[in-house]
Amino acid sequence: MSELRKDPVVGRWVIISPERGKRPSDYAVCRERRREGVCPLCPGNESMTPPEIFAFREKGTKPDEEGWSIRVVPNKFPALRMEGETDRRCWGIYDRMNGVGEHEVVIETPEHERELPYLPLTEIKKILFVYKLRMEELAKDPRFRYVVIFKNRGREAGASLQHSHSQIISLPVIPKRVMEELKGGKTHYRDTGRCIFCEMVEQERKGERVVEENEDFIAFAPYAARFPYETWIFPREHASDYRQIRQRQYGTLAVILRNTLKRLDRVLEDPPYNLVFHTSPLLEGNLPHYHWHIEIIPKVTRIAGFEWGTGFYINPTPPEESAAYLREADLT
Amino acid sequence: MEKILVVDDEEAIRALYRMELEDAGYEVVTAATGEEALEKMRDSKPDLITLDIKMPGMDGLETLGEIRKRDKEVPVILCSAYGEYKQDFTSWASDAYVVKSSDVGELLTMIQQLLKEKE
Repeated sequence: MSELRKDPVVGRWVIISPERGKRPSDYAVCRERRREGVCPLCPGNESMTPPEIFAFREKGTKPDEEGWSIRVVPNKFPALRMEGETDRRCWGIYDRMNGVGEHEVVIETPEHERELPYLPLTEIKKILFVYKLRMEELAKDPRFRYVVIFKNRGREAGASLQHSHSQIISLPVIPKRVMEELKGGKTHYRDTGRCIFCEMVEQERKGERVVEENEDFIAFAPYAARFPYETWIFPREHASDYRQIRQRQYGTLAVILRNTLKRLDRVLEDPPYNLVFHTSPLLEGNLPHYHWHIEIIPKVTRIAGFEWGTGFYINPTPPEESAAYLREADLT
Repeated sequence: MEKILVVDDEEAIRALYRMELEDAGYEVVTAATGEEALEKMRDSKPDLITLDIKMPGMDGLETLGEIRKRDKEVPVILCSAYGEYKQDFTSWASDAYVVKSSDVGELLTMIQQLLKEKE
């Protein structure tokens, strides 16, 4: 029998509607591949990108030439522009502002075929460090209120190139989804004096939705998962802003992130996915009611009329089941 | 005289671009498909290519990849009625992206700028 579950933070209902006998391999997506020709993110093609903002490179090599291991460049054709003021204004009931923002692309490796979880741990750690550095830099601009870090894998999840990359966008407003989380967290804190995310982490640690845990982080399938094999990674210790990550935690985060992505690859046969960092707004400091985290959503089902019309999601795989499959995945 | 290869599956666009670019003093070669563009590129060695994206068969972004395998230097301007392809990073192999309109002023300015940079 199906079950309705409510997300304790944002109050969103989902329908967990198990399909009997549905195995992970039934979700395998026939990944669409297009002839890519020349990859603009590969070494040797640095002239195809805008000048780099940041790079880890071999000693003696010059910017925008070969010899890098991680490279950050602005989007060549950005939807938002760095120049100008936001100039927020109203027209009757409608609100608008200039399209100001920064859109950066993190090229995670020089190797075209090598994906994030198959990079050496030292490289994954560096990528996580670069995210923090770029957030800190973008936070210096008083026009920006929020920085979102995300990664699309596979064309079905919005990635246009196979070459492993992630994206960072700074925005002059706080996204609605984050606002909902902040509001839910604040209400719970006001009512109980406790962080709902810390409580969630504690409760999940004892349960059957855990995928993996180490000394600093926990990966679990959320109680009211919207999608099959949706997995969240939370720091165990309270921290609302990704910029608060401590030196030691790059390593432990790299391990749990690598393993979680590998588990998804093993169980769902290299699925397309979206990976998004949720963190507190830039000007908020350390909030007692919010907890930064990573949400990974495999794109193995479609959103259709019911979901768009109601905000409900129908998930055919209970998170307890997806967590069990992911836990048992062979990581060797 | 500098030679421009115009690639677009719409005959009216090819005719419009030919007229405007010839008026601006360029020699114009046209192609209706990505495959034809690669042949014309080999035979006529253009100084710059304008490339539509949404075309039957090999689309503009695939054609762009093939062009770059053959020539990394020739300037390519993607011309599309849609802005959405800007989010496709394969478009970065081009030098510019112009949203198509019946006013070719922006395209002409971009062609002049890229040819000047090439000199």
